[in-house]
Amino acid sequence: MIRSLIKLGSRSNFELLMSGETVGSLVLRATLILAAGAVGLFLMLPRGQAKGKGQPNRLLGAALATASFVLLLAAPFSPEWNNQRGVEGMAVFRMFPEVSASVTFYILAGVSLASAVMMITSRNPVYSALWFALVLLANSGLYFQQGAEFLAGATIIVYAGAIIVMFLFVVMLAQPSGTAGYDRVSREPLFSCLAGMLMSAALLGTIHYVMRVEWGGNSQTFSRGYRQLEQYRKFDPSLDHSLMDGVDPRNPFHVVPKPHVRGLGIALYRDNVVSIEVIGLLLLAAVVGAMLIAGHRLDAPPSASLERGPQTS
Amino acid sequence: MSGSEALNNYLILGALLFSLGLVGFLARRNLIVMFLCAELMLQGVTLTLVAFSAHHRTWNGQVFAVFSLAIAAAEAAVALALIVVLFKRGHSLDVSLWQDLREPDQPPVDDELPPPDDQTPLPLSPVLTVAGRKPVHHPDHAPVSVRGKEVAP
Repeated sequence: MIRSLIKLGSRSNFELLMSGETVGSLVLRATLILAAGAVGLFLMLPRGQAKGKGQPNRLLGAALATASFVLLLAAPFSPEWNNQRGVEGMAVFRMFPEVSASVTFYILAGVSLASAVMMITSRNPVYSALWFALVLLANSGLYFQQGAEFLAGATIIVYAGAIIVMFLFVVMLAQPSGTAGYDRVSREPLFSCLAGMLMSAALLGTIHYVMRVEWGGNSQTFSRGYRQLEQYRKFDPSLDHSLMDGVDPRNPFHVVPKPHVRGLGIALYRDNVVSIEVIGLLLLAAVVGAMLIAGHRLDAPPSASLERGPQTS
Repeated sequence: MSGSEALNNYLILGALLFSLGLVGFLARRNLIVMFLCAELMLQGVTLTLVAFSAHHRTWNGQVFAVFSLAIAAAEAAVALALIVVLFKRGHSLDVSLWQDLREPDQPPVDDELPPPDDQTPLPLSPVLTVAGRKPVHHPDHAPVSVRGKEVAP
């Protein structure tokens, strides 16, 4: 982020990019928002308080984290929106002014982030798994919104249907009866919240740098790779790789609809056959390994089969 | 949904999910919750991949996302098998118990669990509400016969 800001300062169209803001105010704003989120998470993490005593802290932490996420995600409200609705206070906290999105995105993103926070702060691992299932549902809604229909369905079936249920089985199998002290006391909550704050600051700073500086802060100009892809599309009129509705090159009045699963199938099984085979081999190895690890019984004499093994072979 | 407007939003959301997973992985002691947090970080990365796929209008990001789905499944299988074995041996899911597995020349981490203030046991699973009420038994409505046999009142 610091490097990006230094580069920002050396640009000639500095004023245009920052649109009247100063670098210091941007960094201060981002730090304040992220620090509010980190403090909220710190207050929400289990630190061994009694039930009634920790509740106000948890509520305060939830309010802080929610405020932080709202400011980070509501930051994309465009300046036109702000001017129309007369929301001046929100404009102060804008980090990404050129962005706007649909209401569906905000609902799904809010559900996803709130569920993620509840997942990492729940004292009961069963609740953590259930909150993670809610994160997965919200995320598959976001996949739908981006035209990844197969992936949305696969996420629900594979993750929420299989992996979460497996987690729940293991929780039921391997949970000592009720009193788990390690679920109520976090390990270094302050430093882990600081680490998360630094991580998100680095990621958001990089995104901000790329959006504002390399793409010029204009949503109509795209990255170099995007323009190269557009050039490539002109020479390859086949719509197998396209995620948009297209036009049949032989009949320009015939609109070819977007190939949903067919496109992904062709991309998987024609262009990435070797990778699919490798992934299948990896899954097979994982299944065999899991059976080998968890299959044998501990109460049986552990070395009996091992001692007999070399003699018979 | 066009261009960089949507992409920016999804990148921010993916970064935040990744950071939340990092915080959870560092802060929690329960092995199962730690692996759930690792899955949360994978979800953030997958969201970013799908966003780039939609932005570039190619299938490559979704192909990567399918691969990450398969790898998450494989990882969950092996990790949960390991958790079951570790729980059978140690009868605890505290990750600090397994620092015996460190290298022989490494010093032990002083990571003792402070006793929590609250000692009341947590419910093991979510408690569901009772679905339906127990019917009130009236002597007038006593069954006269059960499977053909007379029942004495």
